[in-house]
Amino acid sequence: MDFSLSEEQRDVQQLVAEILAQEVTVDRLKAVEAGEERFDHKLWLQLAEAGLLGVAISETYGGMGFDFETLCLLIEEVGKTVAAVPVVPVLASAALTLQQFGRPEQCERWLPGLVRGEVLITAALTEPGRDNLATPASRLERVGGAWRLHGHKNMVVSADRASAVLLSAHIDDELVLLAINPTAPNVSLVPQHVTTSEPQFSMMFDGASVTDEDIIARGASARCAVQSMVQHTLVANSVMTLGVTDAMLKMTAAYTSQRVQFGRPIATFQAVSHRAADAYIDVQNLRLACQQAASLLGARVDATEAVLIAKIWASDVAHRVSQSSQHLHGGIGVDRDYPLFRFCLWAKQLELTLGGGNSYLMALGDAIAEEFKQREVGASTRREARDVPKVVAVGM
Amino acid sequence: MNVALTREQLTLQDEIRDYMARLMTPALLEELHGEQREGGGPEHRKALKQMGADGWIVRSWPKKYGGQDAGPIEQYIFCDEVIRAGFPYPFLTTDGVGPVLAEVASDEIRQAVVDPILRGECVVAIGYSEPAAGTDLASLTTRAERKGDGWLINGQKIWTSYGNVADYVWLAARTDPHAAKKHHGISMFLVPTSSPGFSFTPINTLGVRTNATYYENIELAEKYQVGPLNQGWRMITEQLNRERLSLVNHGPCEVLFERVASWAAQSDADSGAGKVIDLPWVRTNLAKVKSGLEILRLVCFKQAWSMSHSSLDMAQASAAKVYGSEFFVEAWRLLLEIVGQAGALCRNSDGAVLQGVLEHRYRSGSVLTFGGGTNEVQRDIVAAAGLLMPRYR
Repeated sequence: MDFSLSEEQRDVQQLVAEILAQEVTVDRLKAVEAGEERFDHKLWLQLAEAGLLGVAISETYGGMGFDFETLCLLIEEVGKTVAAVPVVPVLASAALTLQQFGRPEQCERWLPGLVRGEVLITAALTEPGRDNLATPASRLERVGGAWRLHGHKNMVVSADRASAVLLSAHIDDELVLLAINPTAPNVSLVPQHVTTSEPQFSMMFDGASVTDEDIIARGASARCAVQSMVQHTLVANSVMTLGVTDAMLKMTAAYTSQRVQFGRPIATFQAVSHRAADAYIDVQNLRLACQQAASLLGARVDATEAVLIAKIWASDVAHRVSQSSQHLHGGIGVDRDYPLFRFCLWAKQLELTLGGGNSYLMALGDAIAEEFKQREVGASTRREARDVPKVVAVGM
Repeated sequence: MNVALTREQLTLQDEIRDYMARLMTPALLEELHGEQREGGGPEHRKALKQMGADGWIVRSWPKKYGGQDAGPIEQYIFCDEVIRAGFPYPFLTTDGVGPVLAEVASDEIRQAVVDPILRGECVVAIGYSEPAAGTDLASLTTRAERKGDGWLINGQKIWTSYGNVADYVWLAARTDPHAAKKHHGISMFLVPTSSPGFSFTPINTLGVRTNATYYENIELAEKYQVGPLNQGWRMITEQLNRERLSLVNHGPCEVLFERVASWAAQSDADSGAGKVIDLPWVRTNLAKVKSGLEILRLVCFKQAWSMSHSSLDMAQASAAKVYGSEFFVEAWRLLLEIVGQAGALCRNSDGAVLQGVLEHRYRSGSVLTFGGGTNEVQRDIVAAAGLLMPRYR
């Protein structure tokens, strides 16, 4: 058991923090938000130049070759500043999945450009009314020797800038994971207006052409890939939530320590300090949940339960810390000239991404019920499961 | 980062679990389920002595006292398994007061008290709280006055758990009533419970039996004053910090979670709706307990890990105490809901579920949020030490 970061991890964390501290000022955020869309292209290129977009991409494709846990350190720092860069959908959802499940020529096609900041790939995680990536209504049909995609994806981040969008669909009953060029014929993009102003798009496919080169995985392998994409996305978003709530907590402590009412800083009222203390405990607990899930995913062992627990905590903590922060700030907390509001908007968006916490609570309950019913028939014991870490069957 | 226990740690866990399973004989269990559930009965004393003889008590102690310098993670595993087994282990004696005595007491006291502690033959109760000095402990009024070469003790303590069976009370008494600050002028004493003038009366709480203890003109030899005179406050707070860590072990809750989940998987639900565990709200309750419990486990291990790297901060220890104690209260409630109305049946009652353990647990669990340092004070510490927020004086 070791809760410390490696030297390389600390270096990455420090490098990201330095770049973001220097670049992501309130004025910079305002300028980006006043532009056409909330994407800080200059910062994206700076991260590329520092090699950070490739932090978890193999050296074969020009990256640094670190693990998911190290990528999470970058994501947490981005969360602390709410910088306008789509690190979760691009680096965690799309790039990691492609790297793990794509064929070498597919990786070669997109990853080196991504590391250099020249190419952007993203992932379509939901359909209207469907937050579960493993059961898409989108379908791929064989028409005269060619594949045609029909369907509707929702809330796809930075689809307008992407060279490829990873998405799931069905060929009859078989799940498939593929990459599609969003500017191809018979694909239409409609901008959506989301609470954080993050650039998100609705994507309609009306017989868009797909070739075998675009198909990343099919069948059992696709199920593994989709599960992996969901798990990494859930944890990456939980880590982003950690950064967002950590920043809100610090702002709240600082503000209440200098805001004077009734002749004393309001932080000296226990009703205030105790609510802040509860937020502190929440953020610390979320940190542990994230560390456990990221570390297990990084080690490629079964992380199902840890991922669910991270998402459950992230959703609750996002909501609670955001509400406490706004409440303890009073009026200034909702003023758009004061920086807190951005973090609150991100907290809510992250809470809802891939569904709210209670749906995952139910999923955890189902897993527990399954485990204990299995035990009743004597099929497995926890001790065996504990001693021999289950290696996730990946389709490689 | 690696949040899993090492193979050696898992082996240790298995070893202690097996050992404790053998130690908990039917006779001991019978005794613990009767009047002497807090320990101190003959079977309990016998088992404790066995643990001493088998080297378990000294294990966590420094090498210079014959211990193995077991690290905080290993010691956490030990505590957790012992508590999980349901053995009332005198942690305050073995891991709280004992090492302090070994460090600062005279050779005579070491031989008379420390060695028996390590052999599992000596239990020390804690005498801090008084009727008018609870959370504001430094306002205690029990006094120790010079008498010849020794001391004369007068006063009353409350919540002296084990006071009825202990060999000594580790007593905080005021030695300088004129000190500028009330935290100054307090010293520590070891009071043999065989001393004339010592007496106790039981306090039967919702969960356990504890005691009020009385000190009436007790004459103590000089050797029973331990540590620097008038500087007992520091020793008290250090010991309380240690105690706080052992208050929120995850083991007991994990055991109950598993027992209730197994019960729910075996028991038929109302109106032919499968098993109790098939009910959606039961699954949600179990998931809430599980997700809270998993974090408690990580909080505890992170704390032990921080101690082994000398980086445990005050906010972290207080946050763990607040979270753990409030989680327990919620967890008992969620688990009791699953058992339903029968959850209110006591042990020994016809129809009791899981021997009424939940009925007892919720009753005894209510002390946790204020015992070992009330959660309001812990939140004050979290805000001040963790968030650097100013305090009102």
